[in-house]
Amino acid sequence: MHYLSLYLEFIKINLYSMIQYRVAYITSMLAQALDYGVSFILIWVMIYRFGTLNGWLPYEVMFLYALSLCSYAIAGFFLHITMSNLSSMILNGEFDEVLTKPMNPLLYLASRNFSPGYVSHIALSVAIMAVSFVNLGIKLTPYKIIFLCICILGAALIQGAAFLFTSVPSFWITQNRLKQILFHQLRTFIDYPISLYNQFVQIILTLIIPYAFINFYPAQYFLGKQDFLMFNQSFQYLTPLIGLVLFILAYKFWNYGLRHYKSTGT
Amino acid sequence: MPIIEINNVTKNFKINKIQKGFSGAIKSLLSREYEIKRAVDNISISIEKGELVGFIGPNGAGKSTTIKMLCGILVPSSGQILVDGRDPSVERARNALNIGVVFGQRSQLYWDLPMDETFDLYKKMYRIEDKRFKRNVEFYVDLLDMHEFFRRPVKQLSLGQKMRANIAVALLHDPEIIYLDEPTIGLDIVAKDKIRHFIREINKEKKTTVILTTHDMDDIENICNKLVMIDKGKIIYDGMLSEFKRTYCHDNVIIVDFQDLNSVIEDSRLKVVKVEGNRKTIIYDKQDISSGEAISLVTRNNIVKDLMLKEPEIEDVIKKIYEKNMSL
Repeated sequence: MHYLSLYLEFIKINLYSMIQYRVAYITSMLAQALDYGVSFILIWVMIYRFGTLNGWLPYEVMFLYALSLCSYAIAGFFLHITMSNLSSMILNGEFDEVLTKPMNPLLYLASRNFSPGYVSHIALSVAIMAVSFVNLGIKLTPYKIIFLCICILGAALIQGAAFLFTSVPSFWITQNRLKQILFHQLRTFIDYPISLYNQFVQIILTLIIPYAFINFYPAQYFLGKQDFLMFNQSFQYLTPLIGLVLFILAYKFWNYGLRHYKSTGT
Repeated sequence: MPIIEINNVTKNFKINKIQKGFSGAIKSLLSREYEIKRAVDNISISIEKGELVGFIGPNGAGKSTTIKMLCGILVPSSGQILVDGRDPSVERARNALNIGVVFGQRSQLYWDLPMDETFDLYKKMYRIEDKRFKRNVEFYVDLLDMHEFFRRPVKQLSLGQKMRANIAVALLHDPEIIYLDEPTIGLDIVAKDKIRHFIREINKEKKTTVILTTHDMDDIENICNKLVMIDKGKIIYDGMLSEFKRTYCHDNVIIVDFQDLNSVIEDSRLKVVKVEGNRKTIIYDKQDISSGEAISLVTRNNIVKDLMLKEPEIEDVIKKIYEKNMSL
């Protein structure tokens, strides 16, 4: 309860700051929504011309993309600014201040630095999901809607873990570019069904960097598909569990990095 | 029981050795060589509740490292720190409720908003009760003279105003201890004065223990009653300020403008250190000769136009110590 009221205070203070730059914020939100909107249209046009993509209908691929975007936006809402700035915060000593607060440092940073811009991504991806379900003629039972929300949260935890795993090395490496290289490049792999790729890539995306659990496997369940590659069909239900486990591991890694924080000279 | 206890604390940093040239860069890719830098070297300090401690030393002496260990930001390599009975690196968040921190020019305030918005946030973060919060805000705004700019966005405030607001925000939750890292750096005399006065008042009013680092000896003279001096990671003085002055600040100064160029002073206890025309600068040790006697000696056989008496300046003494790095 205490934390909730503190969080509202953070939101309030950030909104006040934002109001000062409202034009800049609104235009950047619109621009981002437009950017992703265009991506959706591109996917749609491309697949529409081919009819299907490895057995996936255009709206099915769009649902896939929406799941990835939605979970990324939820994780990014809390972590994007913090994890993008972590390296420079450590370098210029700003991180010291974080450690003088009577709070868990990750919770403090996630509360202080949320990115409201991602709300537009979330809205866009939810709308696309709805449109996809309608066009595919899939009826969602209340149970399925609840499970979809849980899966999105699980996928968001996977995305959040990726934010942490790629940013925490900043505690040791001064110029940490892992996040840009690994994270953003890899993420584009799951814009399409991973059954498109060869087995090696499928194994990596399932077992090593389990991005396929963000959208490919849960989509099997919601779209009623049977595309399990070489893996077990129980994978369609595993997203929440995998998200939880990965995020706990990532959080442990974060704490490990924190213990190695060296601060700067002055 | 002391509120802060530092027992045999050492802090080492591992620094990458950077080798020279291209081949050096390749070599360091393959095998990293490290150098151990000892920032703090086996120090022990004990501070009682309510003390006003000036923590001084040249740049790179280990002041900030020590303060950061006290805050729980850095973990000591060896030794033990207890702040109010707790190890700050283990119970960092719990310790944070008990302390206020102001790091030099770094601001805790939200840049685009008036300071009271930040105050509201800290009220929630530190779970400050309504009554106490209201009382403290009023008290600080009055004492720091912040009425005029209380509702102005922080980015429009002057350096001195921002520093005052930062100190106020760090004290909202009535911490037992406040760490001030160079609180007067870059400020004008009036602003410095306000802050010094405020720190003394807070200490008197709330018995807050103050740990202050500075390079401005006037801060020390005006605020502190205890002095800890550190150099190259080692404590070189730890004691009362008055004791420090009595022990090390002997050289009182008389500057005299004589009528006559050839005026002479015949006393071995008075040393002429500078002559500029008619003006002579004379130093003497207060333990050998009283100021009254020194003046009468100077004026006995000479016609004096003007005479100035100067107390020994702590800054001069400390400068000598830094330069010589003499151990006390």
